[in-house]
Amino acid sequence: MSRKLIGALVAFGLSTSVAMAQEYPTKEIQGIIQWGAGGSTDTVMRSVTPHAEAALGGTVVMQNMTGAVGAIALNHVAGAKADGYTLLMGAENPLLYKVMGLGDKDYSEFTPINILARGTPILVANNDAPFDDYAGMMDYIAKNPGELRIGSTGPGGVPSVVTAMMNTVEGNLDVIAVPYDGDGPALTALQGGAIDVMPAVLGAAIESIRAGAMKPIAIFDVEQNPKLPEVPAVTSFNDGYSKYLPWGPFFGVFVPKGTADDVVAKLSAAYSEGAAHPDFVKLMDDRGFTMMGISGDDATAFLSKWQQGTAWLLQDAGLAKTSPEEFGIARP
Amino acid sequence: METFLAILTVFTQPELLLLVGVGTFAGIYIGAIPGLSVTMAVSILISFTFSWDVYPAISLMVGIYMGGVYGGSRTAILLNIPGAPSAIATAMDGYPMAQRGEAGQAIGVTTVMSFFGGLIGILVLALAAPFVSEFALSFQPRDYMLLAVLGILLVGSLSSGSMIKGIFAGSLGIAIGAVGRDPLTFTERFTFDFQIMEGGISFIAVMIGMFGVSEALMQLQNVNMKAVRQKIDKIVPSFGTVKKFLPLSLQTSTIGVVIGALPGTGGDIAALMAYDHAKRVTKNPKTPFGEGAMEGLVAPETANNAAVGGAFIPMMTLGIPGDAVTAIMIGALFIHGLNPGPMLMIDQPNMFWFIVGALFTANIFMLIFGLTGIKIFTKIVEMPRAIIIPLILLLSIVGAYAVNNSITDVYWMLGFGVFGYFMRHYGYPLGPVILGVILSRLLDDNWRRAIISEREDLGRFFEGVFTSPLSLVLFVAVILIFVSQTPLWTAMKKRLFRKTPS
Amino acid sequence: MDPDFRGDIDHHDGTSDATPGGYVEKRRPGELAFALFLTAASLFLLYSAYGISGFEALSAPGAIPMATTLVMAISAFIVVLRTAGLPKVTTETLAKDILPGTVIVFIGFLILFGLLLQPLGFVLTAGLFLIVAIKVLAKRGWGYTLAVALGSLVLIWIVFRVVFTVLLPSGVLPEAEFIQFFRNLIAAGAS
Repeated sequence: MSRKLIGALVAFGLSTSVAMAQEYPTKEIQGIIQWGAGGSTDTVMRSVTPHAEAALGGTVVMQNMTGAVGAIALNHVAGAKADGYTLLMGAENPLLYKVMGLGDKDYSEFTPINILARGTPILVANNDAPFDDYAGMMDYIAKNPGELRIGSTGPGGVPSVVTAMMNTVEGNLDVIAVPYDGDGPALTALQGGAIDVMPAVLGAAIESIRAGAMKPIAIFDVEQNPKLPEVPAVTSFNDGYSKYLPWGPFFGVFVPKGTADDVVAKLSAAYSEGAAHPDFVKLMDDRGFTMMGISGDDATAFLSKWQQGTAWLLQDAGLAKTSPEEFGIARP
Repeated sequence: METFLAILTVFTQPELLLLVGVGTFAGIYIGAIPGLSVTMAVSILISFTFSWDVYPAISLMVGIYMGGVYGGSRTAILLNIPGAPSAIATAMDGYPMAQRGEAGQAIGVTTVMSFFGGLIGILVLALAAPFVSEFALSFQPRDYMLLAVLGILLVGSLSSGSMIKGIFAGSLGIAIGAVGRDPLTFTERFTFDFQIMEGGISFIAVMIGMFGVSEALMQLQNVNMKAVRQKIDKIVPSFGTVKKFLPLSLQTSTIGVVIGALPGTGGDIAALMAYDHAKRVTKNPKTPFGEGAMEGLVAPETANNAAVGGAFIPMMTLGIPGDAVTAIMIGALFIHGLNPGPMLMIDQPNMFWFIVGALFTANIFMLIFGLTGIKIFTKIVEMPRAIIIPLILLLSIVGAYAVNNSITDVYWMLGFGVFGYFMRHYGYPLGPVILGVILSRLLDDNWRRAIISEREDLGRFFEGVFTSPLSLVLFVAVILIFVSQTPLWTAMKKRLFRKTPS
Repeated sequence: MDPDFRGDIDHHDGTSDATPGGYVEKRRPGELAFALFLTAASLFLLYSAYGISGFEALSAPGAIPMATTLVMAISAFIVVLRTAGLPKVTTETLAKDILPGTVIVFIGFLILFGLLLQPLGFVLTAGLFLIVAIKVLAKRGWGYTLAVALGSLVLIWIVFRVVFTVLLPSGVLPEAEFIQFFRNLIAAGAS
């Protein structure tokens, strides 16, 4: 046993001296995934990271850390050492933590490594719903106030932002918002008829639409999507939406602010290369995600623009807990 | 026909056969160790099998899933510590058997019955998947809520001893499940403004603490006692035994498949409901329930293995996960370039039949490994307690941490361990606490969804219940079980039975 | 003492969860205090549940918590009333049967474990715990204790940290560098 111990001690000594000589990364990197196993953030991160690992020449150990809509993972990484060995793999919603009263930290405490891709929202309806397009739906709401059940995923989620957009553009709609804990369960409920309409991410609904298990109402974008060319863009019904669109949730990899520039550069390069891998591109394309692969100043600018637009939209719709002004988020 | 032959893919490629075998073997151990879970193993396999082809990757995952669900029963029987949530009910009658030195027999019956349950699940998946998934989709929020109420009424059969203590334990469980930010509105509940409480209390941490730590503390008082020698000569149950339990296991397997196929409920609830069912239908068990009744082993073990096949039903036909493990497997299919969804069955029927074949193979491997490795496992109970107890405590800590990489969960686990220790001493049953935690979200979320959908109108809510056949059946079941457990019914029954003979 | 004596049966500590401990007709030492504690805790939780959203709506986030804590409080109170009416078990004492020395010591160990886990790291804390716990319980020589403790620690560490990549708190040991060292060795050997 003692020989083993000595061996271990020698190994420790060796590894620390090696660590001094080698360049980043000298040890495995922890990737903290903000959402649970099997979710879309999880799937995206687990499929891009092996390609990035190859480019980086290191190991990224991914762990799911769920709870409090991702705030637990965000706080964990924000509190970790800014040495590039702890990555946050997250989605868009931390940008709304402050205005929604869910936490006092957001991505301003982080340096973006890569904003990988963004999703496009789409409005889908149960096959038995008494309308087939956006205009028909608006007509139905007007004629049957308080009857249409629309799925939501809690404050700050994609459906709540889309609904806020609809309320802002069309005037307040008298509908019932039924809360679910994710768009997966909500889309299941939609097929079972528990809700009539659901604003979802294209990727989550695309297979069911293709199979005819639910009907598409409108794409929330300024133009039609090549994946579903027959579905009209919502702007073709009401041009008021073009003020807010294109808009969508996104996936990104982040490190705590203060991480050395060369480490950030190395990670960014690795993830850019990983995101450009044909396997990953095909995978994202199949699910209707739009590739972005931006980093550095582009990513920072994207984040602040996204935050301004969405936070103020929620504020104007009366959904925000605290005005974005309090946190210095300028009106776009 | 050609697509149907895909069911044989596993057998024609030795590599796949080997992977299913290795997976099942590893799964049994993963399931048996309280700190390791199938969910954890499968999500690690996603990265591990990233560069593999899809068939080998799925083979390994299917094996681990099947083996893991079964493996949970091992530690439940031998140590009174369920290795996985779906084995909680197994401990109730399995551990008393081990205390009498009949662990070998208990494991033997469990293995054969798990195989049988697994087989039923796979058969239903292969033959009736589209039908079952359509049925599962028709569950509305109010039906889920009624199902949760039905589950909560199991407290009655899970708490022999004092019913009122059982009711307390069950409602405590529901309250524990509500801690943290409410997933629907993000309102803080029972957090007392502590940030560490926002994420809630992991239900695995509660389970490991209540069953693992409290059992280990309990055993401290018997540390110098000689371990019970286990008889391991009669492991494989006789044909007569199997035949005797056939009708019961068919019923409990059906419970398992249906509960497993429902998105949002899984093997854990299925096993508890099956245990309750067995207690109701078994009029004269050879040994009373709670003291080592075979029926108490057969029911939960057939149900949780049948739930495996059940969980694949919505996954394969609709791309909707039946439980946490199938959710990750959907991610795996996606990463391997397939598009899981309703089109998968039409575009890639081979995949469906391949999975059916792999499940079937895993089920056979489970039977083989289950019946052969018993000697090593029973050696665990015969190890000196002075070593087992510290190891159980350490595994409990690591396991609670591993669930969500959170040290807070370790604190909760330890806290509930000590609390559970006192509960055991004073006659409060622990099973209802876990039942409450499992059902808390199902009850709370769906009650709120149901009542929101009806614009907060109770009249409209009940109108919905009475106009839907499914809701009505569930509602009547709730009322019947509730009435049968209250003193009123016992009084009525007495009067009725007194009249009939005359 | 009879080596085959099984305390479980005599102590009414519950053999499995289906047959919980406690006496039906008698009250164990501390049982009433425990029931009183549960009642007080339930009332506090009920108050806290009321604070979530009050009687805002049937679908309010506080509705189910309020209902369930109310049931907790009522059932705990009934348990208090029933327990208070029962005669005491005369043969048992709190220190001997409910909280003997070893149990208190082990609860202390677990608390220490929780406190040290983060700053000291998993490997050191778990190593210390196993050595002390096995030494206290087995009352065997140091060689035996160290061999069993460290042997099982290495096994657990390999299974959880290396195979299942659970990122246990590394504390003061440079664990990640250590693993990388072996990874490099394997990589060098492979190439």
